[in-house]
Amino acid sequence: MKKLTKHPVCGTCSDSNYTVSVTVDSGSGCARNYNAESTCMWRCGAIGEFDLGGGGDDDGVDEFLGSVLGSCEGFRKVYSVVVVNRGGEVRAVVGKYRHAWIIGGVLEEGMNAMVARVAETFVKVFVNGGKEEGSIHGEFMPVGADGRIVLSFNLLNADPTDWIYGWDFQRIDEILLAPVIKALGPVANISVESQVLYHTPKSSFSYWDEKWDSYIFSTKDLPFFVNSNEWHLDTSIAAGGRSKILQFVVYIPSAKECPLLLQLPNGEISVTNAFISPMWGGVAVWNPPGCSRDSESKHPARHTISPQDLQKVFEIFMGQLRQLFGLKSDSLYAGASGTTNLLASERGFTEWELDVLSRQHTCFNLVSCATTLGSLSRLVQSLPRMIIMDEIGKQVKFSLEAAKLTQSNASLGIYDASAVSSRQARSLAEDAFFHPSIMSVSYYSFEHCFAVYSPFFLPVSMHVLLAAFREWRRYKQETAKYLAWKKKAKVAAS
Amino acid sequence: MAAVLRFLIAVLLFSSIASASLSQEEEEEFSEELLLKPLADRKVLAHFHFESKAPPTRTYGHHHRLFPKALYQLVQKFRIREMELSFTQGRWNYERWGGFDPISSSNAKPPGVELWAVFDVPHDLVDASWKNLTHTLSGLFCASINFLESSTAYSAPDWGFQPFSGSLRYGSLPREAVCTENLTPWLKLLPCRDKAGLAALMDRPSIYRGFYHSQRLRLSSTEFGSTELESGIALDQTLTVVLQPTTSQRASMTYSSDSVLQPSWSLSSIFGRKVSGRCVLAKSSNVYVQVERGLVSELKNLHAEDEGSGAGNVTFEKTWNNPGFELSIAPNRVIKEVNILHDETSIVLYEYLIDNYSNSEPFDLGFTWKFPVVWSSPQAPLHASRFLMGSGNERGAIAISLKATEPSDGLWVADTIENSCMLRFNVFQVVPWYVRVYFHTLQVFVDGKPQSVTDFIERMRISPSEDKVSPGVMEMALKLPCCVKSVTLTLEFDKGFLHIDEYPPDANQGFDIPSAVISFPDFHASMHFLKDDSLNKSPLLSKFQEKSPVLCYTEVLLVPLTTPDFSMPYNVITITCTVFALYFGSLLNVLRRRVGEEERFLKRKDSKKTGRLGQLLSKLFAKLRGKSWEPTQTQSASSSLISSKLIFKVILVAGIAAGWQYYSG
Repeated sequence: MKKLTKHPVCGTCSDSNYTVSVTVDSGSGCARNYNAESTCMWRCGAIGEFDLGGGGDDDGVDEFLGSVLGSCEGFRKVYSVVVVNRGGEVRAVVGKYRHAWIIGGVLEEGMNAMVARVAETFVKVFVNGGKEEGSIHGEFMPVGADGRIVLSFNLLNADPTDWIYGWDFQRIDEILLAPVIKALGPVANISVESQVLYHTPKSSFSYWDEKWDSYIFSTKDLPFFVNSNEWHLDTSIAAGGRSKILQFVVYIPSAKECPLLLQLPNGEISVTNAFISPMWGGVAVWNPPGCSRDSESKHPARHTISPQDLQKVFEIFMGQLRQLFGLKSDSLYAGASGTTNLLASERGFTEWELDVLSRQHTCFNLVSCATTLGSLSRLVQSLPRMIIMDEIGKQVKFSLEAAKLTQSNASLGIYDASAVSSRQARSLAEDAFFHPSIMSVSYYSFEHCFAVYSPFFLPVSMHVLLAAFREWRRYKQETAKYLAWKKKAKVAAS
Repeated sequence: MAAVLRFLIAVLLFSSIASASLSQEEEEEFSEELLLKPLADRKVLAHFHFESKAPPTRTYGHHHRLFPKALYQLVQKFRIREMELSFTQGRWNYERWGGFDPISSSNAKPPGVELWAVFDVPHDLVDASWKNLTHTLSGLFCASINFLESSTAYSAPDWGFQPFSGSLRYGSLPREAVCTENLTPWLKLLPCRDKAGLAALMDRPSIYRGFYHSQRLRLSSTEFGSTELESGIALDQTLTVVLQPTTSQRASMTYSSDSVLQPSWSLSSIFGRKVSGRCVLAKSSNVYVQVERGLVSELKNLHAEDEGSGAGNVTFEKTWNNPGFELSIAPNRVIKEVNILHDETSIVLYEYLIDNYSNSEPFDLGFTWKFPVVWSSPQAPLHASRFLMGSGNERGAIAISLKATEPSDGLWVADTIENSCMLRFNVFQVVPWYVRVYFHTLQVFVDGKPQSVTDFIERMRISPSEDKVSPGVMEMALKLPCCVKSVTLTLEFDKGFLHIDEYPPDANQGFDIPSAVISFPDFHASMHFLKDDSLNKSPLLSKFQEKSPVLCYTEVLLVPLTTPDFSMPYNVITITCTVFALYFGSLLNVLRRRVGEEERFLKRKDSKKTGRLGQLLSKLFAKLRGKSWEPTQTQSASSSLISSKLIFKVILVAGIAAGWQYYSG
C-alpha cells in the first residue's frame, strides 16, 4: 500500500514548498521513502482493523480513514490518497476530509496509470478544487472588501391575489444554513437575512408550450427575468458599507403563468428550474403544487411551502452558493484517467474544498490589495498637488505588512491565519483608497490659480513690457546716435 | 450531498410540526385604514393609517413575512426604543382644521423634516447612535436627514418635548423639500406598496396638489427588555393630506342665508382613482368618514327644523342620508363617540369594509352636500403663534403669542379644578447657535401687561447655545389662571456671523428657526367609544382612543442674517493686486527713469516740431470737430506732447479692459 503526502502552497501559484511521502504497508511491515517526523505518517497495519470498501459504504470508509489519518492534523495540512490493491473494479472516492482512496485491481492497470491517477487526484481535486477549465474565474470570490457576505433570501409572491405563500425560514436558518456558515467561517463572515415580498412580477413574458403543458421561459430572456423596478431586494442596513450581498430569490409565479419552467439553450427543461447570476446571486422558480387557485373567493388563504419543497429549493441554493464560489455542484469528477466520486459534506463544503477556497480567497485578496494600492499610487502620482493625509500612509503601510504576513503564513500552510491577514490587507488597502479626504479631492486647479494671480501679473507685465520697449527704443536711438557720431568722428579723423 | 440534506429535512419536518402550535399565538399583522373628514373651510382631510406589527424577537425570531426588513434591522442595529420621522409640506391650519383632536395633535407636524428618537443605549453612546441613524435614514428615505448629524442641528430635550425622555434626541430641518422621492421609499415599507389596497389611491399629482401633506413614520419597540410586557415592534405609517375638492356647478348655487354650499366630493374626484379591493395581506382594511362634533350639532339643528320638533333626534346619527349631506354608499356600521360631557352631540364615524369590493366593483365613496352648513372645529386651549420683532441685521426678538380660544361647549374647562382653575402648558424651543438668544431678557406679558416671570413659570430648563457646537434649547413649563386672555413671551437675540463656508446655498433667503412645540399636558385629545371588541381590532380607532397630550407647533421663523457678498474674496484679490500693480509700476518707472537725459530730450523736443503721430491725431481731431486743420504752433508743442501721451494711455487702458473683458467673458 502506498501513501503520498503533499503540502501544496496557494493553489496554482505554488513554488516547490511541499513534501511528498510514500508508505508501502504490506500488512507485515512498512517501507517509507524517508524518515520524516512520524506523527504525520501512515500508521502501519491500520488498514487491517477495517474492512476497507467491503460493503461499498463510502461514508463509513471515510469516517474510518478520517480517524486513522486525523491524528496528524496540526500545523500543516496533509492530503492523503490511500490505494488499496485487492482486485476487482477500480473505484476512486474523495472523502469529506483531506483524503481520497482508490480501491480495486489497481496494479492490474499498471503502476504508471495508478501513479498518474493519484497525481491527478492531488493536483486536480485537492489543489484545484476539481474545477473544469473555463468555469467561473476561480480567483473571483463573492466576498466583500470587509470580509463579509450577507446572504439575503427573498420569497417573491408575484401576485398575492392568486395565492400567498410563506416559508418557515427560521428553521431553515437554524438547521440548514447555520452549519454552512460555520464551515465557511475562515473564508468569510456570513450573515443571513430573509424577507417575503409581494406584487413582484418578473419583467419578461413566458409563452405557453403544449408539449410541456406549461409556461416556458427561454434562456435568452433570462437577463430580463429579474425585475429591479418591482423587486425591491434592498441592500441591507445591517451589513456594512462594503459587504457583499448575495441575493437568493424564490420566485412563485402568478396563476396566469403557473407552471413556469425555465428552458435550457438546448431546448431541454431545466431540472433545477433555477439560474445564477455571478456576483449577484441566484433565482429559483417554485411552482405551487397543482397550480390551482384556492377558490374563487377574493381572499386567498395563507400557505406555507412544505418542508420537502423548501428543502429542494435550498438544495438548489446550496449548489448555487457553491457555484458562486466557483466549486462544482455535482458529485462526480471526470478526470483524464477516470471518474472520481466526491463525497458531499452535510455542511455543504468539505474540508479540502474549504482549503481550496481559503487559498483562493487569500490569493484573490492579495491580488485585489495589490491592484488597489497600485491604483492609489497612480492616483497620487497623477495629482501631485493633492493633499494626502498621514493616516493614509499608515494604512498603506499596515496593509503591506498584513500582505507580507499573509504570504509567510500561506507558505507555511496556515490557511486560516493567512486568510484573515489577507482580508485585513485588502480592507486596509480599500480604506486607504476610499479615505474621505481623498474622496473630496481638494486640489488647486490651474484655472483657479490663473484667476487669482492674473489681476496682479497682467498689469505688472504691462509695465514691464512697456519699460522694456522703451529701453529698447532708447537703445536703438542711442546706438544710432553713437554710430552717427562715430561716422562723424571717422570722417573727421580722415 | 443531496442525500444528507434530505435526511436533515426529515429532522426539520418533525421539529416544524412540533413547533407549529407554539408559533400560532404570535403573528405579524398589517392593517390599512383611511379616514376622510370634511373640514370647515370647504376642504377634505384624508388620513391614511398603516400599521405593521412584529412579535418580539426573543420568541418569534429574526425572520418576518410582513414587517419590513429594513426597519427591523434599523431597530436592531441602533437599539431604537421609539422613533418618529415626518416629512411635511404646508402648515396645519389649527384654527380651521382643528387643534383638539387626535389627528391634529399627533399628525400635524412642522414643515420640512422632523425626527426624534429614543435609544436604548448607554448615555455616552446616544449621540453616536443618533448620527448613524440620521445617515441610515437619509439613505433609506432619499432625504438630507444627514444634516441632522452635526451637533448644531439636534438637541436633547429633557422634559419639554415628551415627558419620559431620557436618551431622546430631537432635530428638525424646516427647509427640506418633500416630494415623491420621499414617498416611494415610504411606500416600499408596506407589503402591498401602492399596487393594491388603500395605498393605490395615492396618485402623486393629487396628493402633492393639496394644501397640507404630512407623511409620518413611527416606530416603537419593546425589544430591549426595559419593560416586562413585550409586544415587539410596532410601525405606524400615516399620510395626512388636506385636499381641495374641485367645485362643481351645483356647489356655486347660493342659498338664501348667503352661505355657499360646500363642494361635494368623491374618492375618484379628490384622488382621481378608486379603491379596487383591499391589500390581501391586510388583516383589516377599512374606510371611515368622520363627521365632527360641530357639524353634527349643526345638522341636528337642521334636522330639528325640518321635523318641526325634536322627535328625529334619536335616529339622526344612524342615518347617512340626512338634510345636510348624503353618502353615496350605505356604511357597514355607524360608530358614535361616547362622551360623558356632551351626550347631546358627539363625533360620528361611518365605517366601510373594503373586503366586499373588488376590481369589478370598485369602492368609490361620494359625499354630497345638500344644504350649506357652517361649523367650527374644536380648538386647543391656546392658539399659539410666533413672530419676530425688531429690525436690522444686528438684533431682534422672538415673540411667542398665545391667545385663549373660546372654550367651545366647555370642552376643556371640566379638566381643571374648580376654584384654582389653572392652565398648564409647556413650551419647547430650539434655536440655532447663530441666533444668540439672551435668556435673561425673557419677558412675560399677560393680557398685554408685563408681569414677573417667576409668577407664571413653574420650571424652566435652558441650555444656552455654544457657537458652532450646540443650539440653544429652552424648555418652559408655564401655569396660567384660566381667565387670562393672552400671554406673550419675548426673548431678545443677537444675530451671529457665520464663516463663509457655513452659509447654505441661497443664503440671502434667510435662516429658519425651527418650530416651537407647545404642549398641554393636562389636556388629552382622545375619543371614547363604547367598549366593543370589534372596535379594538381597528388600529386607527384604538390610536384615537389613546390618551395623547394636545400638541401644537408654531410657525417656522425666517431670520435674515447678514450675508456677505460671496464674490468678496475675489474682489479683495483684485483690488489688492491692482494696488500692488500700481505700486510696482510706478516704482519701475522711477527706477527706469534717467532724469538728465529726459530733460535734454524735452529741450530738444521744444526746438523741434511735434511727432508725426501727434500731427496725425490732431488732424483727425480737427476733422471730427469740423474745423480746418492748422499746424500747431511751436509754443503748444509741449501740450500736444502731453495730449498724445494721454491718448496713448487711454488706448492702452481701453485695450487692457477689452482684453480683460474677453478673458473673463
